[in-house]
Amino acid sequence: MENEQQSNSDAKQSLVYTFKIKGHLGQQWLNWFEGLAVTLEEDGNSLLRGPVIDQSALYGILKKIRDLGMPLLSVNFTDSNQPLESGTGEVNDDL
Amino acid sequence: MVVSILATKLYIPPPPPKVVTRSRLIHQLNEGLAAGRKLTLVSAPAGFGKSTLVSGWIASREHTAAWLSLDENDNDPVRFLVYFIGALQTISPNLGADILNILQAPQLPPIDSILTALLNEIAAIPNDFTLVLDDYHLVDAKSVDEALTFLIDHLPPQMHLVITTREDPSLPIPRLRARNQLTEIRASDLRFTASEAAEFFNRIMNLDLSAEEVATLETRTEGWIAGLQLAAISMKGQQDIHGFIQAFAGDHRYIVDYLAEEVLRRQTEDVRGFLLETSILDRLDSSLCDAVTNRTRSKSKLEQLQRGNLFLIPLDEKRRWFRYHHLFADVLRMHLMAEQPDQVPVLHQRASEWFEQNNFTADAIHHALEAKDFDRAANLIERAVPEARRTRQETQLLNWLKALPEEVLQHRPVLSVHYAGTLLQTGLMDGVEKRLQQAEQWLEKEIHKQPIYVDREDFQRLPGLVAMYRAAVSLLNADVTNTMKYAQRVLDLASEEDNLLRGSASSLLGLAYWSSGDLDTTYKMFSNGMNHLLKVGFIPDVIGGSVTLADIQITQGHLREAMSIYERGLQLATKQDAPVVRGAADMHVGMAELYRERNDLITAMQSLQKSKVLGEFNGLPKNPYRWRIAMARILETQGDLEGALDLLDEAEPMYVGDFSPNVRPIQALKARIWIKQGELGKALDWARERELSIEEEPSYLREFEQITFAKILLSQYQSDHTESSLNDAIRLLERLLKSAEAGGRMGSVIEILILQALVYQMKKDIPVSLSALEHALKLAEPENYIRMFVDEGAAMATLFREVAARKIMPDYVGRLLSAFEAERKGIGEETPPSAAPASSSLIEALSQRELDILRLFKTDLSGPEIAQELVIALSTVRTHTKSIYNKLNVNSRRAAVKRAIELGLI
Repeated sequence: MENEQQSNSDAKQSLVYTFKIKGHLGQQWLNWFEGLAVTLEEDGNSLLRGPVIDQSALYGILKKIRDLGMPLLSVNFTDSNQPLESGTGEVNDDL
Repeated sequence: MVVSILATKLYIPPPPPKVVTRSRLIHQLNEGLAAGRKLTLVSAPAGFGKSTLVSGWIASREHTAAWLSLDENDNDPVRFLVYFIGALQTISPNLGADILNILQAPQLPPIDSILTALLNEIAAIPNDFTLVLDDYHLVDAKSVDEALTFLIDHLPPQMHLVITTREDPSLPIPRLRARNQLTEIRASDLRFTASEAAEFFNRIMNLDLSAEEVATLETRTEGWIAGLQLAAISMKGQQDIHGFIQAFAGDHRYIVDYLAEEVLRRQTEDVRGFLLETSILDRLDSSLCDAVTNRTRSKSKLEQLQRGNLFLIPLDEKRRWFRYHHLFADVLRMHLMAEQPDQVPVLHQRASEWFEQNNFTADAIHHALEAKDFDRAANLIERAVPEARRTRQETQLLNWLKALPEEVLQHRPVLSVHYAGTLLQTGLMDGVEKRLQQAEQWLEKEIHKQPIYVDREDFQRLPGLVAMYRAAVSLLNADVTNTMKYAQRVLDLASEEDNLLRGSASSLLGLAYWSSGDLDTTYKMFSNGMNHLLKVGFIPDVIGGSVTLADIQITQGHLREAMSIYERGLQLATKQDAPVVRGAADMHVGMAELYRERNDLITAMQSLQKSKVLGEFNGLPKNPYRWRIAMARILETQGDLEGALDLLDEAEPMYVGDFSPNVRPIQALKARIWIKQGELGKALDWARERELSIEEEPSYLREFEQITFAKILLSQYQSDHTESSLNDAIRLLERLLKSAEAGGRMGSVIEILILQALVYQMKKDIPVSLSALEHALKLAEPENYIRMFVDEGAAMATLFREVAARKIMPDYVGRLLSAFEAERKGIGEETPPSAAPASSSLIEALSQRELDILRLFKTDLSGPEIAQELVIALSTVRTHTKSIYNKLNVNSRRAAVKRAIELGLI
């Protein structure tokens, strides 16, 4: 219920998603993934993180990841009110 | 005429000259084929060597194969099927020629009937073969998935399907798996094992690595082939290979990042620039690359890239067209965007210009849109509209139009009106009004801005086009007044030579008059419209219009004229030297109905058979529904009331609404059968539901139902003998008669007079009864109505004996009496041999090729001579012959010819 309210009230705003990918990605991917920020994890993985306007944009990103053969480890939805820093704590729980 | 087929999509990519032999996988593929499994699914992420494996497998054996490389545009099911057939034609050149024809027509028959016709033709291919659908992940459309599921479910045994994809497709995979009809090759199977990696580095790439080095690379890439290949290219000519491997293994970077940079770094500045700049192209040829890079000598560059194993894949035998491996292309594009973002639109612009000059319109539009040069794109689209509409590429057209920003569309009235037309044609009513208004604002006098268009003549037609689409929208909304208003406006505006506009408007006007019940004007307008459309070659529309025109004639009581309309329609549809045009099947259904009325049930059944043999596929969308209604009426005439009701039930969900009113609703047909069955309660429930009453004003649109209601009242009197039912019926029939006479609907008049005769007979007022009947007979004789009288059964037969005694119209009455007599003796002798093929199985439709062979059967050509005549193999003739025998249920050539003549097929 709470989630639903959240997404309804934020319907006009983008939601923030984090994609965890195996291997360290270079910063040059920023444009390719239309503004997702790349952060590198110590365990050798990368986080692509940023606002995604809707579900079809989300699938567009997944397709790009697929087409580059990047091994995808997890996708997480993040509360857009949280700051955009990376932290290992947010994304490792569903691996 | 046909969606132009890019041969490059059908080219079987040759495996690279030197390639790792993958015997375990080849073995797996062979085994699947030997076990007769329907489908091989090669499903793994990018860069796992899926296509290479399959093309290598195909090259390794003597097995016939076809190939289709899919792309995003194949999400349109029509285009997908066109290419699917195109791929099959590389094996069997004439396959599906008539289906391709149908796919270009303005209205498609049900997709299942197209697929069934296709399966029939596949089933006639004499030898086993494999079709590869490469890159199926690029198809997202549910309609394509469904079509492919249907094909797989009914796949003829000689066909094997291979699908390569980066994601599991939405096909019934678990079911195929459970039935052991699926061979699966997945990422874990495709990874290079240590020994395959060793073979690759040492034998193929001549790198001479130690087992330990190979193992390090294999671990780092986890056997991912694209990674190993990039690594090998990076190591070519490297001084310190061992150091390279150590550095790569110790690095955390994403493999492609690391290696692609390595590969690019090792190219000359010249080659590197070429790779990045041409990465925007989906396919490359040297002249196109020259244009895009603004340099010369692209030809030698492409050769150089091929020699260097730089992921360049040939797309044709002549090595004119190439493409980069998709994964490599993505990486190159990413680098281009990161390093020279400003250059990207410039490159697309140059590509668009080259494609335009070389007449590749779709590519020219694609690159103009990518360049965000929307004015250029709009010009190209505007020019492409007529061809795209004619070849049924509305889906693509709509996608292009949607990609244009509003600011651009606002200045382009011609595009706006075509936008509306495309929406209407794709069945999307939303947005039509908005686009029409957008176009219409340019028609006002006071406008101070300048419209943009390609062709002045198009702009001059604008008022007529806008009005025409408005008339169509109004008619769809059942708004008769506005339909007439706008259609009339079109006729006022359109030039004399504009047959398309005049024909469309005139037909729309006719249909509007139909709803109002003015049949003479309807007929005049509609046939005038058809004449215009005939002049511009819209044959299927004209044939479809015959059904409308004949319906009107039947209502007016002109059965002979209706018959000749169907005959002319049939002539149009079956012109010599051309594939049968859709609509021929519909003509036979219409004729069946007329033969039935003449009490010629055998010919009526034969007409329905002909329609069936031509296949639903050769019919217009309404035909499956009309066929069942006609068949139900025949069964009803034969006394099989349950069978008739079953068919009506089957027909009901098949009703396809169109511009013409449904004046003979199926529920009313059922109610008439219920009356005959003595199910008065059901009939009364129906009448209540339809709110039928004797108070209601008679109207043409409700006439069939109102007459049915009168029949119910008669039947009610017979069961309860309440005087009021009889008086109600008398009053109702009186009013119906006046209305039908005023509207010139003589078919209805005859039916009402017959009911009046019956009602006065019940009232024991024989003189009035006979005078009504005599009136009906006078009207009916010239058109030779039989069943209309005979269907009323014993009571009517009694009246006829009275009529005969008074020597009224002795010839006609004599004929009717003998029909009553035959009916009384039992219907058995009237029943044709092959009655009751209730649900028509499509598989029995003969293909065009089978019809060709049937025609030659009539000659004294031998089998080998027939093969020579048709330029096909003797084995093919044999396969077709077997299939013809099956479908016609015969076992000799003579019997087949006899049967075909009976059915009017030859």
